[in-house]
Amino acid sequence: MSARDMSRGQSPGHVRFGPRHGASIGLVKVEATEIEGRKVYSVRGFNNGVARWLNKLPTLWIEGEVTELRRQERWASVFFTLKDPEDGATLPVQMPRGQFDALDLGLDEGERVHVFGRAELYEQRGELRLKALTIERFGLGAHLATLERLKRKLAGEGLFAADRKRALPRYPRLIGLVTGNDAAAKRDVLTHIVQRFPPANILVAETYVQGPRAPVSIATAIGDLCRRGADVIVLARGGGSFEDLLPFSDERVVRAVADCAVPIVSAVGHEQDTPLCDLAADLRASTPTAAARLVVPDIAELRAQVARARDGLHRGAHRATERHGQRLAAMHERLRRAPLLALERRRARLDTVHARLGALSPVATLERGYAIVRRGDAVVRAADQVTAGDEIAIRVADGSFGARVE
Amino acid sequence: MTFEEAQAELEQIVARLERGEVGVDELTKLWERGEELYRICAAKLEGVQGKIEELARSTQTDEN
Repeated sequence: MSARDMSRGQSPGHVRFGPRHGASIGLVKVEATEIEGRKVYSVRGFNNGVARWLNKLPTLWIEGEVTELRRQERWASVFFTLKDPEDGATLPVQMPRGQFDALDLGLDEGERVHVFGRAELYEQRGELRLKALTIERFGLGAHLATLERLKRKLAGEGLFAADRKRALPRYPRLIGLVTGNDAAAKRDVLTHIVQRFPPANILVAETYVQGPRAPVSIATAIGDLCRRGADVIVLARGGGSFEDLLPFSDERVVRAVADCAVPIVSAVGHEQDTPLCDLAADLRASTPTAAARLVVPDIAELRAQVARARDGLHRGAHRATERHGQRLAAMHERLRRAPLLALERRRARLDTVHARLGALSPVATLERGYAIVRRGDAVVRAADQVTAGDEIAIRVADGSFGARVE
Repeated sequence: MTFEEAQAELEQIVARLERGEVGVDELTKLWERGEELYRICAAKLEGVQGKIEELARSTQTDEN
């Protein structure tokens, strides 16, 4: 459309565009109507003037996140909003559908892109937008390389070393939960912790989990929870795209996790790439639910354990006294028999001695016709022991008699 | 005297009697000592058993 087409035969005039108090940066001719000495422009004329002025702006690359992507077969153009990840400023973007489809990018919400385009005015509504000439997906490769470098650097410092991993407390006094403020992850963790272990104390720190403010916010929350007495911390985030989870690979967050004064569980749901905070945490859980299972014991299981232990105690005590009783009874039985046994042994020894005594007795010799001769108490063994007239006693097998030596 | 002391002495006496190391005159005296030790042990055991059963009963009533 040219200025001439829009002139409606009215006298030409000028509209000045640019900063109100600044220098003029350009003039565009638009027809104005003269009414009572005042130049008046139609909306259409005004918009057209702006549009033409905008057309003079250079074509350039703009980086942002794709949001509100709208594409329909019956539309000539595809629309989306480019969002500044730093402060959320937005810019509507339009691209002819044929060109957009030809790029075959398969863009998702939140993806970071570089758009090559220039400003244009949607004249019908006086809306500024970016006319995209081409779109390039940006960041994934660059981010991955940066992440890999960071991972190697932190690994080199030993932040991920196995011997740094600490065991979680068996019965946590205070559980610190770091999570986004509206996150389903928060509800999941809380619900499962309380279900498993109703007496659990939980302190929740709500943080940004996405965007440029997330890393500092998360790192600060971890330190705060430690200071407020948490003895275990859960860092929870429901699943998200690679870029959503970038804060969990941010060096500040990874260091905060590694330096955390108490054991920390990373429960950042992810599908492929492991966020670096997972490597620095003492334990990682695949889901917020799994994290709950890690930090608190199952109270039903605990009750069963205590009951089993008590049964065991009773049985053990019973068995121990029973064994002592059996041993004592056996000892008593031996004690009862021991004196008789001892007596019998004595008697046996006595009998042996008696038998030996019998073997030494002279009776058998006497029975063969020998005699024992005594004078007084002495046995006479030689002839010169006696003289004539001595009284002697003679012992034979069946008795004794006296005699006189001649 | 503890249960273990009494039991140890009792076992020693029985062993001595069974080995026949004991003089006849000493026999009765040792045997009587053994019986006394047995009674001490048995009484202690009975006491402990009673206490365990009592505890088991009382914890069971706690539960109900």
